[in-house]
Amino acid sequence: MTTETLDPRSADADAPVAASARRKPRSFLAALLRSPSGLIGLVIVGLLVVCALTAPVIAPHDPLRMAAGPRLQPPTWDYWMGTDDFGRDVLSRILYGAQLTLQIGVIAVGISLTCGLLLGLVAGYSSGWTERVLMRLVDVLFSFTEIVIALACLAIFGVGLTNAMIAIGIASIPFYARVTHSVVLVEKGKPYFEAATAAGAGHLRLIFVHLLPNVVPTLIVVGTLGVSTAVLAAAGLSFLGLGAQPPEPEWGFMLSASRDLISRAPWMMIFPGLAIAVTVLGFNLLGDGVREALDPRQRQR
Amino acid sequence: MTRFIAQRLLAALVTVWIATIAVTLLVHVVPGDPVRIMYGSFQTTPEELEAIRVRLGLDQPIWIQYAKYLGRLLQGDLGRSIVGDQPVLDILLVRFPMTLALAMASLVIAVAVGMSLGFLAAYKRGTWVDAGAMILAIVGVSMPHFWLGLLLLFLFALTLQWLPVAGGDWMSLILPALTLGLANAAVLARMTRSAMIDIFDQDFVRTARAKGLSQTLVLYRHALRSGLVPIVAMLGLQFAYLMGGAIVVENVFAWNGVGRFAIEAVFARDYPLIQGFILFFATVVALASVIVDVAYAFLDPRIRYS
Repeated sequence: MTTETLDPRSADADAPVAASARRKPRSFLAALLRSPSGLIGLVIVGLLVVCALTAPVIAPHDPLRMAAGPRLQPPTWDYWMGTDDFGRDVLSRILYGAQLTLQIGVIAVGISLTCGLLLGLVAGYSSGWTERVLMRLVDVLFSFTEIVIALACLAIFGVGLTNAMIAIGIASIPFYARVTHSVVLVEKGKPYFEAATAAGAGHLRLIFVHLLPNVVPTLIVVGTLGVSTAVLAAAGLSFLGLGAQPPEPEWGFMLSASRDLISRAPWMMIFPGLAIAVTVLGFNLLGDGVREALDPRQRQR
Repeated sequence: MTRFIAQRLLAALVTVWIATIAVTLLVHVVPGDPVRIMYGSFQTTPEELEAIRVRLGLDQPIWIQYAKYLGRLLQGDLGRSIVGDQPVLDILLVRFPMTLALAMASLVIAVAVGMSLGFLAAYKRGTWVDAGAMILAIVGVSMPHFWLGLLLLFLFALTLQWLPVAGGDWMSLILPALTLGLANAAVLARMTRSAMIDIFDQDFVRTARAKGLSQTLVLYRHALRSGLVPIVAMLGLQFAYLMGGAIVVENVFAWNGVGRFAIEAVFARDYPLIQGFILFFATVVALASVIVDVAYAFLDPRIRYS
């Protein structure tokens, strides 16, 4: 692999963030709010969370009830985003869809972050053969690309939204393992680590007390950016029919249902796609903002 | 150089070898009985299921299955699909040119649009050109492929009616290639900008400027040349992502490539076809990365000799 340092999804997500984990949270938040991308990202993600939490209250109609309104109604005052071919309110479905989207992000990133972190820590710490074999395997899996790994997982588990979340989580493990590994290598070379080793710290202490806290800042950045990848991937799988199943108000699935009606009911295609794009944009901006806030040197770039 | 190429080929072979193990294991980690899952929708008696199990070799220990699988693989036999009972390799080879055409056309668009945008942004760093280009790029990165595809379809095929909705000729290649190409251009623009900024900050560029070389000369002979090196290195991964993205885009535009078939195979739980697809995909991506690595070594002698 000659692409050790740069990943196409985020210009320099691999680059270790300066070890400033112990900086005061208040100054971190201030720094985050000062960067335009951090601020916009935070607002978008905040809005998404609010929509998800308050969907049952603010949604004007039932997202699942068929024939609740007229079919294929263009946007009006009663139905801001129009209705679909079953007479369901598109806006209500999108608001409820926010719940599913957040769930996807948390579950998928949770799986890949936990497993990737452990793999990367073990590989980076152990060095020698263990490291070589583990990282070689990770590299090979990485080159299969996430969508193919996810498809393989779905071929094993069967289709469905929960399975798609797990599949996406598994598919990204190699990426998180590589990032963790590269940060561990940098941290291992620093004086504090040598000092801890010389002072006779045990393996577990070295890994969890010394290495882990210094890997966390980078992983926060990568994890935030990772939510956007996971949301995109899940929407893609649902679009292909492999994820969410009817009548779930999942955005990717809603898009796929709009395909045969694009010219008659473009609103069915435009709004769910917009919801996905804005959410993904929000997490991308937030990730960039967090990186800038954690590593002030990046800000000049 | 020969040694370098041999090394890269060997690494690619290891990748493909691991893929063969992975696809053999795939059928075994399926919860439940894979034969029943595959043939469950057909009218089959228990005896028939047993006969299928024997025919597929699933009644034997896993290492024997693996050895036999490898043996058949070396003869170019990837097994037969369950739906339609056709040789898997034939299915893949018939459809692969369609996917390759899509991937190559998209790569050209991605490189042309993405690199110029990234280069421009790096050159005009800190100005509104830079800001605009990067806003465009981050919006592009955040756009789902399939939504961009549907929007283009809505605009150019349905509303303006300039281009066909689907088909199979080169006219119907334009929209899918544009979709996949623009989506990847955004990623490439971000990478190019970051690589070029690193170059612009380096001593040899500053020296070239300081000794009074013309701006054009500094840009083309010094900066662009060395800036290309890390970008070419990333193209291998970029190609892998393009191939992955093609799976989705093919489905949007009913483009009859390998990816469209792969999705159908997952739906039908057609394991021989899924196995064949994963192996095929891994091989193509591994070969592409060998080509990119060789090109990289060609551009940067330090790689060849280290």
